[in-house]
Order: sequence, then C-alpha cells, then structure tokens
Amino acid sequence: MLRRFVFLATAIVCLISAGLVAYEMSRVGVHQGYAPEQPIAFSHKLHAGDSRIQCLYCHFGARTSRHAGIPPVNVCMNCHGMLTKQSVDIEKLKELVERRQPAQWIKVHNLPDFVYFNHSQHVISGVACQTCHGPVETMARVRQQAPLTMGWCIQCHRSRQVSDPHTPAANLDCGKCHY
Amino acid sequence: MANDLTFWKNRVHVETSREDLETNRADLETSRRDFLTRMGFVLAASALAGCSRGAVQKAIPFLIKPEETMPGVATWYASTCGACSAGCGLLVKTRDGRPIKIEGNTESPLSGGGTCASGQATVLSLYDAERLKGPTWLGVPVTWQDVDARIEERLRAAMAGRHNLVLLSGTIVSPSTRALIAEWKARVPTFRHVVYDAVSFSALRRATGACFAIDGLPHYRFDRATTIVGIGADFLGTWLSPVEFTRQYARRRRPDAAGVMSRHYQFEAGVSLTGTNADHRVPIAASQQGAVALAILRRIAIEAGVETGAEQVDGAIDEGAVASAAEDLWRHRGASLVVSGSQDTATQIVVHAINALLGNIGTTVDIESPSLQKQGDDRSLAQLVDEMERGDIHGLMLYGVNPAYDFPDAARFARGLESVALTISFADRLDETASLAHAVCPDHHFLEAWNDAEAVTASYSLAQPAIAPLLDTRAAQDSLLKWLGKEPDFYAYVREFWRSHIHPTDARGRTFDELWDHALHDGVYHRDVPAAKTPPFRPSRAFTAAWQSAAHEVGGRQRSSAAPAADRYELHLYETVAIRDGRHANNPWLQELPDPVTKITWGNYLVLAPSLARRLGVESGDVVRMGIPDAQIELPAYVQPGQSPGTVSIALGYGRQHAGKVAYGVGANAFPLVTSFDGERQYHRGGVVLQKAGRSEPLATTQAHHSMEGRPIVRTTTLSALLSEETEARPEAASLWADREGGPHRWGLAIDLNSCTGCSACVTACQAENNVPVVGRDEVLRGREMHWIRIDAYTGGSEDHPETLVQPMMCQHCQNAPCETVCPVAATTHSSDGLNQQVYNRCIGTRYCENNCPYKVRRFNWFRYAQNEAFDFNMNNPVGRMVLNPDVTVRSRGVMEKCSMCIQRVQDGKLLAKQEGRSVADGDIKTACQQVCPADSIVFGDLNDPESRVARMRAGQRHYLVLDEIGTKPNVGYLMKIKNRSEA
Repeated sequence: MLRRFVFLATAIVCLISAGLVAYEMSRVGVHQGYAPEQPIAFSHKLHAGDSRIQCLYCHFGARTSRHAGIPPVNVCMNCHGMLTKQSVDIEKLKELVERRQPAQWIKVHNLPDFVYFNHSQHVISGVACQTCHGPVETMARVRQQAPLTMGWCIQCHRSRQVSDPHTPAANLDCGKCHY
Repeated sequence: MANDLTFWKNRVHVETSREDLETNRADLETSRRDFLTRMGFVLAASALAGCSRGAVQKAIPFLIKPEETMPGVATWYASTCGACSAGCGLLVKTRDGRPIKIEGNTESPLSGGGTCASGQATVLSLYDAERLKGPTWLGVPVTWQDVDARIEERLRAAMAGRHNLVLLSGTIVSPSTRALIAEWKARVPTFRHVVYDAVSFSALRRATGACFAIDGLPHYRFDRATTIVGIGADFLGTWLSPVEFTRQYARRRRPDAAGVMSRHYQFEAGVSLTGTNADHRVPIAASQQGAVALAILRRIAIEAGVETGAEQVDGAIDEGAVASAAEDLWRHRGASLVVSGSQDTATQIVVHAINALLGNIGTTVDIESPSLQKQGDDRSLAQLVDEMERGDIHGLMLYGVNPAYDFPDAARFARGLESVALTISFADRLDETASLAHAVCPDHHFLEAWNDAEAVTASYSLAQPAIAPLLDTRAAQDSLLKWLGKEPDFYAYVREFWRSHIHPTDARGRTFDELWDHALHDGVYHRDVPAAKTPPFRPSRAFTAAWQSAAHEVGGRQRSSAAPAADRYELHLYETVAIRDGRHANNPWLQELPDPVTKITWGNYLVLAPSLARRLGVESGDVVRMGIPDAQIELPAYVQPGQSPGTVSIALGYGRQHAGKVAYGVGANAFPLVTSFDGERQYHRGGVVLQKAGRSEPLATTQAHHSMEGRPIVRTTTLSALLSEETEARPEAASLWADREGGPHRWGLAIDLNSCTGCSACVTACQAENNVPVVGRDEVLRGREMHWIRIDAYTGGSEDHPETLVQPMMCQHCQNAPCETVCPVAATTHSSDGLNQQVYNRCIGTRYCENNCPYKVRRFNWFRYAQNEAFDFNMNNPVGRMVLNPDVTVRSRGVMEKCSMCIQRVQDGKLLAKQEGRSVADGDIKTACQQVCPADSIVFGDLNDPESRVARMRAGQRHYLVLDEIGTKPNVGYLMKIKNRSEA
C-alpha cells in the first residue's frame, strides 16, 4: 500500500514538475508584462490619454516604416519648447537637448531576430495600435501587454478577412514574417 | 533539340588529403563521459534560459532627425562606381545611414542598370577593416595638420628649388579632377602628371591616335554589330567596359525580340568569359593575335579592292575560321566589329584598318565621342622610373596606383622610390607602395566622396557621398587643393567645374542650379552633342600609309619569329572577372566568387591544355614550376579544354602581400612576368619552361563535374531551327499531386540562357542582398560554399574546340517541391504566392531537403559564420557587419538556407503597392540577381498575370523547365541557348 502510495505520489510530483518545466520552457523569451523603468519617466497616460495626442504624432514611423520609432527630441520640443510647465523629467529632457545627447530608452517590445515585423503594413491595414500594445493611453509606465508569441500573431492573421485579392490581408505564409 | 554533345566529367581532381579526414574523424568522436557532460550543460543552460530575461535592448532615437532619413526605410543616392575606370552609374541603397547595397542606375546611357561582380562588391570594401584610420608619416599615425605641415614645407622647398614633382596615377575619368591637375601644372612649372594602368591599353591608345588623331579610345558599339570578331579581347569579362559591352552584346542575342542575332568569332589563347560565349571560338597562341588580324585584313582588303602591301604569312592559324569570319564581316560591313586586346601598336592599327575598310568607323566604332578610359601610357612610366633611379625626381604623389606590386620590376621601382625626397600615397591602406611612402594621406572610399566621371566623351556621371567618412580620411582631391593653397572643398570645386565647363554647353536652357539638381538626382548627365552631321569617315592617304606600314611590320614580325623549341611554351597573363588587376584582392566576396570559366575560388593557377598536361604528366592540382630566364613561379595546374596547346595562362592580381589579411597568401603575383616590347607592357611572352614540382595543391573549385549525364539541363537550338520551327505543343505530364490552390500571385523567374554570359555579377549581388556568408578556401574545398545562386558550366565537344554552356542555377521554387515533402518539421513549405519558403527558426538541420533536391541548390550552415574567429571575414568584425541587410536574417549554425527569390523585396514591393493603394504592377519588384544583370537575362514577375513579361517569356517558343520530366513544376524557367553557327 505504502509502496503504491509512494509510487503514485512520485508519479504525480514528476508529472507536475514536468508540466511546469514544459510551461516554463514554452515561455522562454516571452516577456509579457515587462515594464522597465525608463531614463525619463515619460507617461503615455498623460500624453496619449489625458492630452489625447495621436499615437502617430510621435511615432510617425509607424505609417511608412518598419519601425514605429521613438520620437527624436525635436518632436518633444515642438510642445515643450512652448509649454511653461516644469518637472524633474522635463528638466532632464531639456538637459539632453542642451548636451545634444539622445535619450537611451529601454526597448519594451522585443521580437527575435528571425522575425520580420513591419509597423506600416499593419497600420495601413487598419490595425489599431492598442490591438498589440494594449491600452497604452492608460499606462503611466509602458508595459508589454501581449505575449508577442507566434501563436498570438497567428490568431489574428487567421481571423482577418481577405478584402481585396490584389492587396491580400494577413495570411499564414511562413515567409510573411520569417526570412 | 536536346544536346548531342558528349560532356565531360571530373576534369578537376580534388581530394582532401587522407590525413585531414583522419583528424576530422578524431574530432567527431564523443565518449560517453563527454556526452553526459554536454547533456548536463544543455539541461542547465536551458533551465537558466527559462529563468532569465533577454539582454536589455536600448532604443536610441535621433536627437534631431534629418529630414531625408527614416529609420527602417531605405534611402537611395545616385552615384558613380569607382571599381574601375568604366564609371558605371549606380544607385546606392542606404539603410539608417549605411550603404548596404549597390544597384545599377537604369538612367545611365552606358551601363543601363547593370553592374559587374566587382562593382557589386565595392560596398564591402567600404567596410574593410584594413583601411587606414587616418594619415601616417613614416608609418606613424599623425594628425592631418601635422602631415599637411610636413608635406607643405617640403613641397614649398621643392617648388622654390625647381625640383621635379610628379603625380603618378591610374586613369582619372573625373573631369574635375583632371582640371585640378591641370591647375597644378599651371601653377607649378616642374609638376608633371604620369598615368599608367596596371593592365594597359597604351597600344590601342597609340594606334587610335595614329589612325584617327584623337586622344582617347574608340567607343565601341557592340549593339550595332551583326558580326563580332574578338582577337584576345575579353570584352564581356574584363576588357575596357565589360558592363556596357555586355549590355550592348546581349541586345543582339535575343533573336525572338530583335529579329536578328549577332554572330561572334573569338580568337584567343586562354578560355575567357567572352570566348565561352562565342559562336566560334578559335584557340590561337598568345603571340598570334597579329597574324590573325593580318589574315583578316588581307581578306577584307581583297574584297575592298585595296592593296595591303603585306605578304602572305604562313602561320599556324586556322585559315578556315579566318575565312568564314572575314566573309561574315564583309557581308555585314558597316554593322560588324573587330576588337583586339593586343598590346602591339601595329596590330591595333591593322585592326583599325579592318574596321575602316569595313566602313565600321562611325557605326560600331564611334570616334566622334571617344572613350576616355585607360589613359595610361607605359612609356612615360618607364621614363619616370629611369628618372627616379637617376635621382631626378624630388616629389612623387601616388594616387590610385600600386606600382610596388604591379610594376614588372617592382624591386627597381622600390629602389627608385628611395631616392625620392618626398613620396606621398593616397592609398586607403598600407599597401605594397604606401608602406614605402613617407606620407600616406588616405583617400575616401568612393561611396564617401564627391566626384564626377566622364568615361565616354559627353556622358557625365556624378558621385555623391552615401555616408559620412567612416574614418579620418580625406579626399585625395581635397589634399591636392590644400597643398595648392586652396580651400580643400572638392564638392565646391566639382560644382564650379560644372558651372564653368558643362553648364555653358547645356542645350536645354536651364539655370545652373536646375542642371546640377537634375544631374545629381539622376546621377548621370548627357550633353547633347550638336546635331551637325559629320561626314562619314574617309580613310585619308596618311591613314592608308600608316596601316599599310603596320601590316608590313606585323607580317615581318610573324615571319621572323622562329618556330619555338619543343619544350618552350608561351605564357599569357589575364585579369579575372573578380579580382581584376589586384585592387579588389582584399574583398572576401570576390575571392570566393567562382571564376566564370574555371569555377575556382581563392587563388590563381596555371591553366594548360589537356594535350600539354598529358605531355607534362600533370593533372589539375599538381603544382607546376614555371620558369623564364629572370623569374620562377610555382602554381597548381588547371587543365582547361580549349586552351591553346602551346600557351599557358596565369591570372594577374593575386599574391598581394600588403592588401590585408583576406588577400594575404592567396595565389602568386604574376606581374613580375609582364614584359615590355616597343615601350608597351606585354601580357604574353615566349620561352617559358614548365616542370612538375612533384607536389600538389588542391584547387578550391565549386564545380568538379561538367557533364549533364545525358539529361537536357541546358537546352540548345540553332538560329535556323528556331526561326523555322513551329512551337511544339508540349504535352502536360500527369501528376500524382493534387494541384495547388492558387493564390493571388505566382512569382516566377524566366532566365534567358542566350543572353546570359555567365559573368557572375548575380552571384555577388545575391551575396550582398541576402547576407550570404563567406566560408573560405578550406570550406569550399569541402564543397560547403554558401552561394544561393551559382553559375553551372557544362563543357563538352572536342578537347581543342569545346563548347561551354552556362546556366544560372538557384532554387527553382517547384510547385511540387521534393524538399517540402521530406522535411520532418515542416521548415520548408510552400507559400500562397508559389514560393518555396525556408523557415530558419523551425529548421532542425536534418538536411533531408538538401538530399532530396534534384537541383542541388540548398546550402547548409555547417558553422556559425558570423562572429566566429575561424571565419575571419567581414562578418567577424563590427565594421564589416555594417554591410548586412537588416531585412534578412543572419542564419545560425545548423540550419538550411537557399534562394528565397528575394522574398524581402517581394514583401517590400507588395507593401509599397499597399501604401499607394494599388496592386503590384509588373516590373515593380526586381530580385537582386535581376537588377544587377547587365544582359537583362533574368526576369521576375507574376506568372498568374498573362501580360507580365515573365509570363510572356514563359509562353515563348524557347522556354523550358529544367528536369521537367520529374514533375517538380518549377516556377523558374529557362529560355534555350541558341548557337548562331556559320554553316560553312
């Protein structure tokens, strides 16, 4: 009886740990919830949420480029050059301008090197920024909302309809993203 | 229409030595203990990987973004190639400020969108880690102020003392630079400019001056020629302006489009790229070029009813071939062309006479707007070296030349250099000559500099920087301006030159700024030559006298040359398509580019004919000691059918000692074997003794098997058969596979084997575009080269008159792909656009696909080639990696790769269409191999669109699929090769 119990218990423990290992392994490289501290505590909630600045005003690359891009400081200064409000972080920004050094932001959303992702392709197709980045306008510090796994990408690619045969929408070809 | 030729197998015997195999085996053996150790490490590492986050990545924006750049979007700059003096128009693709790819400029009236392999590879030379970081004085790095002060002080002293100053340069096709040099001459009375080319054209230049009284070379027009005769001129590979000539030549090799097809005779000693393309190739000894030219002249003169004054010479030349060539030339007089690579002025005058008697002057030989390439004058260099030895030269500036390497008596040049008080080199590295100079003032790479070019009179081209100088270099012209006491701003100088010299002749009534902006945008500017019709060329009495005396001279020389002794051979020196005169030696892409004819990489070798090899008892790979009275050279032999039996060939440009670590120790330098005759450099000589050295050195070849094994892989037909035959209805073979569901597109390629010359520019273009790694000589010897596209050469027929057929071969993107069915992890799949895709992150490296591919186009990453000390090429240093295309993955070890049909370009084309709200138009997307092709032989497009160019080519009579019978249904198709043989 005891031997049976021990056997069963061992089996269960083994199974559970194997499951845990398998789960952990499947999460290798998945950084959902990653929200690093930035050199300047820029709040998207304040800018995109409260002040309702359009995403593409700063991340203008998303329209035409593969990269959405972090805005150059001259874009920040479009407004901050005129606004009188001061804070520690705005001071930091102005100091960078004076020192002529760009800010070294920490990249939140990272894809592996073997994946090609193009922002403009998705923006033109009418995918909202929030679909992948979550409600950024509510985030004081940006965090990675979606898992950014291939399964998560495919989910969306599967569901989107082919509207025009000549400009096909999302499809499931491997070569769409991997080359 | 299958081939009736018997093709050879295995001409090259390549075998890794048994010892190597044994050591390799020992490396591979793993004990149980090792296995457990590694297993444990792997488990621990994966557990750790699971717990840790990836390294923190930073995103650093511009502080103030320049208006014209957008991160992630390519910016293109029109420029001019600096790889040789042909000055082809370029478009330089820059990503995030880095030039990453060179493409031909379709606006260029000369090169028309084509480039060559070495032009393609020059973008890698920009990131050469061996470039000098800044100026040096006596080998020690100094600042520009310092070096300028030292040089200016000495120059002032030299000018005050009326000492001789010389600028020794290669051909300068930049009119602004020439103007600057003229200014030096005007300001400094003792200043002189000496020009020489390592591979010289001075005899042709001298002959052209004597016949037509022009200072230049004729501008040849192969596109107007129905009969072409080449005498030792590799005009499709290395001679004068190969890209332009290939483009012109290919236009007359498309009979279904043009209605006519040129017939090409080639008389040559070694087998050149041009020779493999000829309809009739006749091997001649290197010394017989004059005899062939004279024999043709005699026949043409008889037809024209002119007296040649030269007697009949009984030479060992093939009179039948000469007769049929002369007959074709005469039949197409006015639309025929004879060119010769001879360095004998009399022979070149004879060739001019043939063209003149045929009425080709003004049609195929344009002397109205001469070519300004190859301005070198061998005699003035010889004179300069004499003066240097005598100590008459006080200051010497070396610009774009490396005489300590390529002057035949380099030691004498170096001795002469010692007596020069001030030597300044503008070289970008401490090469053979620069390391002997007092000051090295490194010039910019051409992609960093402003410049202009006028390779053919009135066809201008501008070069603009595509990147800010990477290193502390300065344009050579800026240095020259500075030392002349002027503002060192060559940009302003070029602009001023254009304002004062080019704008006034502009016929379109634009302001200078308009003209400049247009020229800078387009990259090229063509001055409209006034339409005043010049009278057709009439041979003057002086011209007739000149060529008659030249003919007499050539005839006399042929007669006097005694029959060579039985064990004395002739030597012929040639340039390879990749390395050329040695200037590209440190470029790993070019070192690994298989030679278009021999398919050998990494090094030069002694080419000999099969009959000679039998007589000497050598096989390919056996080292042969070649002796001439004053030098000896040891090189592995390569047995080449079609090689003239009495002549051995060696490529120039190898054996560089100070070019950098890529070039170091690769091949042997053949420049010391160059001789001089009548003041001109000669690239052939007699009296060569050959001897087996008794050891062997394997040749790193990428193709050792040249037989099609009876299968119609390259199909040929004759022109008459093509013109008479009706389109055969090809029966559709029954397939075991269900038809694929068609997507909106089906991408495909059509490759015209008739216009393809095999120049291999596509191989380098693909390498640049797709981050294809360089693997090095040892790995090539193991058959592990990584090129996604290769040029297969099949050689057959008789040993002396072989026929070579070339075929670009890459992934055929089969509709029923054998690779896809055997992949256990579905890492290679079919896309809805008809492409066969390879997914690197899914591949586990079983290599089943490679084994099951009937076309053998898949490449396996046996190692990690990037950031690996064992593969110390461009991908192993941070500067060299700047050339990588950020849109293409750098593959890791253990995965399979192959041609993706430039899927990143397909995606880009589709995206652009999407951004503009339209569908993809035919011609929007060009693969890298298509874009580079000077012959326009490769066409990409949508096979679903019956109006697309590729679909129309596919519907044509000449179209076929390789290995059609196995039912793979490739999306890559070929158009048959046509041989336009004379019936006689």
